Amino acid sequence: MSQRHSRLPLTVLFSLAWRNLWRHRRRTIITLSSIAIGFALAVLSIGIGDGSHNSMIRNAIKLGEGHITVQPRGYLEAPANYKYVADGTTLAQQIAELKINGSVQPRVSLQVLASTANNSVGAALEGIVSADDPRALMLQPMLVEGRWLHSDDSRGILIGDGMARKLKAKLGSKVVVMAGRQGGDSQAQLGRVSGIFDSKVDELDDFLVISNLGFARLFLEGEGADLTTRPVTRYAIFLNDEAEMTQWKSQLREIIDTRSMVALDWQEMMPQLVQFIVIDDAGNYVILSLILILVVFGIVNTVLMSVLERTREFGLLRALGMSRHHLLLLVFCESLLLSLLAVVIGWVVGGAIHLWFAGHGIDFSALIAEGTAIMGTFMDPIVYTELSSARVLQLTAIIFISTLSSGIYPAIKAARITPVEALRT
Amino acid sequence: MPLLTLEGLGKRYRQGEVEVTALHDVNLSVEEGEFAALVGPSGSGKTTLLNIIGGLDSPSSGRVHLNGIDITALSESELSDFRLLQLGFIFQAYNLVPVLSALENVELVMVMQGRHLHERRERAEHYLQLVGLESMMHRRPAALSGGQQQRVAVARALAAGPRLVLADEPTANLDSENATALLDIMHRLSHEEKTTFIFSTHDPRVMERAERIITLRDGVVEGDERIEQHRHGQ
Repeated sequence: MSQRHSRLPLTVLFSLAWRNLWRHRRRTIITLSSIAIGFALAVLSIGIGDGSHNSMIRNAIKLGEGHITVQPRGYLEAPANYKYVADGTTLAQQIAELKINGSVQPRVSLQVLASTANNSVGAALEGIVSADDPRALMLQPMLVEGRWLHSDDSRGILIGDGMARKLKAKLGSKVVVMAGRQGGDSQAQLGRVSGIFDSKVDELDDFLVISNLGFARLFLEGEGADLTTRPVTRYAIFLNDEAEMTQWKSQLREIIDTRSMVALDWQEMMPQLVQFIVIDDAGNYVILSLILILVVFGIVNTVLMSVLERTREFGLLRALGMSRHHLLLLVFCESLLLSLLAVVIGWVVGGAIHLWFAGHGIDFSALIAEGTAIMGTFMDPIVYTELSSARVLQLTAIIFISTLSSGIYPAIKAARITPVEALRT
Repeated sequence: MPLLTLEGLGKRYRQGEVEVTALHDVNLSVEEGEFAALVGPSGSGKTTLLNIIGGLDSPSSGRVHLNGIDITALSESELSDFRLLQLGFIFQAYNLVPVLSALENVELVMVMQGRHLHERRERAEHYLQLVGLESMMHRRPAALSGGQQQRVAVARALAAGPRLVLADEPTANLDSENATALLDIMHRLSHEEKTTFIFSTHDPRVMERAERIITLRDGVVEGDERIEQHRHGQ
């Protein structure tokens, strides 16, 4: 008698489990609906979270320093005007040889003091190639007064409306831009306000001064740079495909002189933004966990109820020779099928909701009237839900595992049934 | 050598503060092919005795030998296999799996025994035919009468090829006509298949068809009578 005889082929097991599942059609449908609704809510909540985060990241990359930044070593930790790449021409050639799938923008970023006869404010002067820099393209529609810089605008500057208010500057106003020089003394250049923008991001509107590259380079000349070698403080690299970021970053690290320069991705450049997203994500996971708890209790309730009301039947099966092991498997299979169905229906419902909002977006402008600026970037007021394939896998696994694990207790309960007691009920 | 031997079988259990003796020193032997009734009033120990013979319950003392195996020495999983391979069960009610058709119910035990589809289908159809349900084999239990359901249970018990069929009050929920019909079928198959039947009952109609009547009272065997004339009377 030592050899185990009781057999139950998987086909029979699943067929029995499937039929048992539909024994109480209405109850199963209600359970599946609650799981599907929970799943859809989870998909929507994660989709909105990812959509808003990605919107913030995209805007931060465009307004900031691109997907990858090549800049002098130590600049990030302690920015200073004398930390620049003296030979911009050679670096530009080296980067160009990589044939990066995207655009490479030279930039001169300096810490300055902007003054008018009325006031002085600390500012960040950003010298850019105004024609095709993504930052320029991003800010151009936000221009509320004046015009954008022409390529030959040697003294023209653009300031935010916050700074304009502080300086009491208007279109055409002269603004003295001063910068400290290594060694202690200072240098100044005269700029003229060509336009005023309103980005709704205070960090930009109060602080940013945009000029053509040539104007900003004058300060580097003051630091001793040779303008014929086209000095820059950084190259901002905007990729057409963000997925290639790691690959391009490592290639850049191979070609640059790593003793004096670094290639950093946006996550390294904006650690606070990354941290904010991590914390916000944690909030989304809390919501997801609450939804899952509700879903799990729903399933435990359904499966356990169906186990308890079949005590006599399980007793019969055990009496006929079904092993505990097979009875456990049978009930577990019922949970497995319920979980599979739940995941499929959940994805149909959640996926449809996601696709709708991914195409049409959710307009949060009424809810966030005061603006959507945060961490030096902003969230587009219309959020389009986003779900990456990794998220799809993650959500499927989480829902599947939690619904499946909710079948463990009822299955153990069924396997513990002793036939003689069960048949007495 | 008898098919079944009970030696000094006793069963005691506690009911609150009181210790109840359900069976006391039961000694019996049943030969292969017997059609035996366990009779006695309610609470006399009939179901307890059947449960112990069927390996569903364990005795407090004594031994049960079936087909040369001491089933009181078997582990739980061995007992499960023992029931699967050696025994057939017919219960008073709720005998069938509601989500399976009559044919599938009869096949289920053979599925667990590991028999091939062709063999089990053939046997299931054969036995359903023997109990007169060939036209209803694809119906689920809910679409069958109580008597028909019990006949499916008889077909299931026999199709699996057991050495012994245990039936606990199989006619208790049936009307007179159905009870008689079921008993006739069981009796006929017992002879045709040479299968041993032990069934508990306090139904006089059932007793009439038994070839041996074992009377229990307060857990003790009070009488054991072989009624040869019934065998020939049928």
